[in-house]
Formats: sequence, structure tokens, C-alpha cells
Amino acid sequence: MTTAPTSTNPPLVCWSCHERTLGTHFCSSCGKLLQLPQAVDYFALFEMPRKLWIEMDGLEQKFLQLSWKLHPDNFVNASERERELSLKRSSELNDAYRTLRDPVARVEYLLGIEGARKEGEHRQQAPPELLEEVFELNESLDELREARASGGDLAALKTRLESAEENFQEKLGEVDAQLQATAREWDATLDGDAATQNKIKARLNELLNRRSYIRNLVTNVQKELL
Amino acid sequence: MAYSDKVVEHYNNPRNVGSLPKEDPNVGTGLVGAPECGDVMKLQMKINPETQIIEEAKFKTFGCGSAIASSSLATEWVKGKTVEEALSIKNTDIVRELSLPPVKIHCSVLAEDAIKAAIGDWKKKHGVEVPVTEKAAH
Repeated sequence: MTTAPTSTNPPLVCWSCHERTLGTHFCSSCGKLLQLPQAVDYFALFEMPRKLWIEMDGLEQKFLQLSWKLHPDNFVNASERERELSLKRSSELNDAYRTLRDPVARVEYLLGIEGARKEGEHRQQAPPELLEEVFELNESLDELREARASGGDLAALKTRLESAEENFQEKLGEVDAQLQATAREWDATLDGDAATQNKIKARLNELLNRRSYIRNLVTNVQKELL
Repeated sequence: MAYSDKVVEHYNNPRNVGSLPKEDPNVGTGLVGAPECGDVMKLQMKINPETQIIEEAKFKTFGCGSAIASSSLATEWVKGKTVEEALSIKNTDIVRELSLPPVKIHCSVLAEDAIKAAIGDWKKKHGVEVPVTEKAAH
């Protein structure tokens, strides 16, 4: 396996042979399974740059390769320390794969390690162009609950809510498209200046907040339509 | 979570629930929302263009008890006040009156924003006449 330590991943000392080692997963001197240094993030775990566009087949290949190598079955006869490490590293790898595979979770994670994820900031306003529709949606939901309680006409209300759901699903699609476009911008400025990067991070953060807002609305409607 | 007596009182007997005709030139509508909790608040005021006095106020809020109480209180407070007096209402006044806990402060912020948005809408309908005293601040 190629080992390409990044700047965030300084060489560490192997717990077994006490040599300074360059490996990410296995010691370059004695070959023992290494403990992940604190600084290693999911991207570094897969030895990838912090890019938001990830080639899925490649990621899966790498995941399978690594999970094969780190698998506890390979360490049945090893020391207790190695058995524990293999278990821990395997579970870390699974978390990393799950996160990087999901395009939204990936952006959220990136902003987190870049220190740029801000949820529900004080005085944050809901997107104004959405509010009118959100208000109407809430009114329809209210009416549906009332009709349900009093045995009123549900069919017409349900149709209205279904079209509202469709509408918000569409908006969700728009946000996802914007998220994708902004992610491409991030990749293009990976080696760019900090100011531009910060601007992109702020925009990604805003898009994530908007996404979770719309996502919650859709979930609420779906709950009532069940 | 325990609500204060005043919140419960407003929640059980909300004042001025309803709506005013949005198209009426004398009616200002403020629609605000907080994405973190999904609250939406609509506050409307009927304002006399001559006296600048808020003659009528209505609200409809989808949200928690504190959000409903905050908007109910806001409509109570602005009624009979001039536009300028209403603009001086601060969210901290609402927090104090309703004894809102820190986690519910955003509800009062929303109510203050709603007052400002409604008056802003009314001003826009009347060709953005900024009150004289605001200009005379220096």
C-alpha cells in the first residue's frame, strides 16, 4: 500500500517497535497495526485530499481493501493490544466510509473538521422566500389534524398536502444541486487563498442549514400523511 | 420543560389570533421564521396613516408555547401605540415580561423581528416614509 502522510498527519512512533513510522495503517518498520494519531481525519484515513468530489468506485475499493486488512479475523492469534486495535480501527473505518459515501454527511463532516459548521446560529432567519409556503403548509397540517379529530373531509386536505410535499421535495432537489455546485467550487479552490475558502465554507454551511430546514418540513408532512 | 404562568396564560388564552386583509394598504404583514425550531410567526397590524397609530393587531404562530406567548404579547403591546413606539419594543422586554428561559430567547427575538417586519411592510406600502424623529437623531 502507498503511504502518503499529509501535513496533518505527522510521522508517529510505533507502539510496538518504537521506531518513527511513516505508515498510515501499518508500521513501516515492523508492520504492526498502528493506532490512529489524533490528527487523522476520515479523508486522511483513506489517504485522500479534502475534496468533496469523491469517485465512488475508488472509495469502495479502498474501503474493501482496508477493511480486509484491518479485519479482526486477521488478528485472532495476535496480542491483546493488536486485537483491540483492529476492532477499534475497523469500526473507525466503517464510520469513515459511511460518512464519506453520503454527499451531505461528507460536506457536514468537512465543515466540522475545518471548524466551519455552525448549526442554528443566533438570530438566523429562515429563508424569506420559503416562509409563505411554510406558513401555508402549517395551516394545511393544522386543518388536517382538526379534520381528523372531528371526522371531516380528509381526502381534499391530503391531496393538498401531497402537492405541498412534492413542492418541498423539489426544493430539496434544488438545494442539493446548489450544494453540489458549491462543492465543486470548494474542490477548485483547495489550494486557493483562505478568504475564498472561507466564503465557500460559509455558503456550504448555509446550504446545509437550509437543507435540514426543508428536510424537517418534508418529514413532518410525511408523518401526517401516513 | 416548565413554562412560566404568564406563558401558560397567553398560550391558553392567546390574544388577537387571526388575520387581517393582506391587500389593505393600511395593513402591514410581517412573516418571520426560525429554521432551528421550525417556528413560523405571522403578525399583522392595521395602522392609521394619519396618526400612525396601530389600531388593530393580529397574529398566527406555529411553534412552541413560548413563541405563541411572545407573539400574543407583542400584539397586545403594539395595539394603541404609534409606529415609532412599537419599534422601540425590544425582545428583552418580552423576555422579562414572560420570564423566558435562555433556551427560549429566540422566540422573543422572532416576535421583535415580526413587529419590525410588519411595520416595514406597511412603510413600503406607503412609499417608505421614515419617521421624522429617526432622522433627527443627530
